[in-house]
Amino acid sequence: MRCLVDLLESSIAKKISVALAGILLVGFLAVHLAGNLFLLEGPQAFNGYAEHLANNPLLPAAEILLAALFLWHIAAALVTRAQNRKARPEGYQSQRAKGGRTWGSRSMTATALLLLAFLIVHLKSFRFASDRSDLYALVMKDFQNKYYVGFYVLAMGALALHLSHGIQSAFQTFGVNHPRYTPWIKRTSVVVAVLLAAGFAFLPVWALVAGGAR
Amino acid sequence: MSAGQAGSAGTMHFTLKIWRQKSAKDAGRFVSYEVSGVSPDMSFLEMLDLLNEGLIAKGDEAVAFDHDCREGICGMCSLVINGQAHGPDKNTTACQLYMRRFQSGDTITVEPFRARAFPALRDLAVDRSAFDRIMAAGGFISTNTGSAPEANSVPVPKPKADAAMDAATCIGCGACVAACPNAAAMLFVAAKVSHMALLPQGQPERERRVLAMRKAMDAEGFGNCSNEYECEAACPKGISVSNIARLNREYARAALFFADHAESGKS
Repeated sequence: MRCLVDLLESSIAKKISVALAGILLVGFLAVHLAGNLFLLEGPQAFNGYAEHLANNPLLPAAEILLAALFLWHIAAALVTRAQNRKARPEGYQSQRAKGGRTWGSRSMTATALLLLAFLIVHLKSFRFASDRSDLYALVMKDFQNKYYVGFYVLAMGALALHLSHGIQSAFQTFGVNHPRYTPWIKRTSVVVAVLLAAGFAFLPVWALVAGGAR
Repeated sequence: MSAGQAGSAGTMHFTLKIWRQKSAKDAGRFVSYEVSGVSPDMSFLEMLDLLNEGLIAKGDEAVAFDHDCREGICGMCSLVINGQAHGPDKNTTACQLYMRRFQSGDTITVEPFRARAFPALRDLAVDRSAFDRIMAAGGFISTNTGSAPEANSVPVPKPKADAAMDAATCIGCGACVAACPNAAAMLFVAAKVSHMALLPQGQPERERRVLAMRKAMDAEGFGNCSNEYECEAACPKGISVSNIARLNREYARAALFFADHAESGKS
């Protein structure tokens, strides 16, 4: 516990830990998306994959690690946000950017809150659903609800924005900044953010419009 | 360039919305002033001088603002002009901003640098001694004074010398803090840490320096860097955020591997 408090006490150590958790979460998202793509193959493939995961003896440990990453990423970011508000008690009447900020960087807090709301709804509807015997049917049922799909797509838009800043920002935080590589890292960050978000958002839209795998 | 050399464009007129605050305890408010007879070739500070001469002639209090060299190298001017630290130009201090950059008739808002770590003194002047305390924590090298050593006895590779010199151009004005959405001082600390970490003379205190300066920075109540890079855009010396990446590296290296790090920042 003491080392966690120490980590929060140092602005730089804290930001490195938030970035590290964030990058690991991006890795999780990539694996999660790959798993979701089994939906396209139909109930057998998707439920088979889900069962395969559920039977893996490492799953509980992986889930605990994942929850810890999410909690740390969120908690440390909240502490940071609170400190940052305190650092400028009296704001400017007008503060105009001079060319550093991006849409993604400006909206980090807003997209984070939307993603947190999404995460809670998402866990409740799938991970902690009362009957998980036929996950494919469970997912497809929610994906037939146009409001649910709308919220899902909106949240994935937030994910794209969040990661467009987050991924490249993590590299800077790890100290990776080089005239040869940084422009590439920035571009790749946006591409990965959009690909991940579009991949996730595609499935519910496909389920709603095409009615799922036939 | 002195005030009063009116260009062929004639003189200009401005409405100024200036932050007035009697003391740190006063709440402060914006007051509007009209200023006429402004030469397009006046600097922003000379325009404020003109305003103050008028105020003093009327028996009013002059607007307090920090200034010193007026040639862009001392880091004393500290104005947020129309919401931007040092005004709209890149790589420019407020003293090097000329009124021809504006349109006659414009309303210009002038505010102080705002951060908890830069407490208000009076009007547009704020106390930036937090930077001095960060420097005192580690922004120095320990070396014997005396006759200058033979220049070629300590070789410095050209790219490193260039990078160190780029970092060393930081004039410590605090525009990075003023422009940062989080009032973070990372670009300033990064410039100072980089400048010395890159040169052989900075090596003996390299780890101790970065640990102590980070600690002093956080103790002053600056915000946290969130990589928005407004600091780089506002920096009158164009200090690159690549220095912040170096600061992060230097800090991680020292925090993880410096044997004596529990002692740092205490002396």
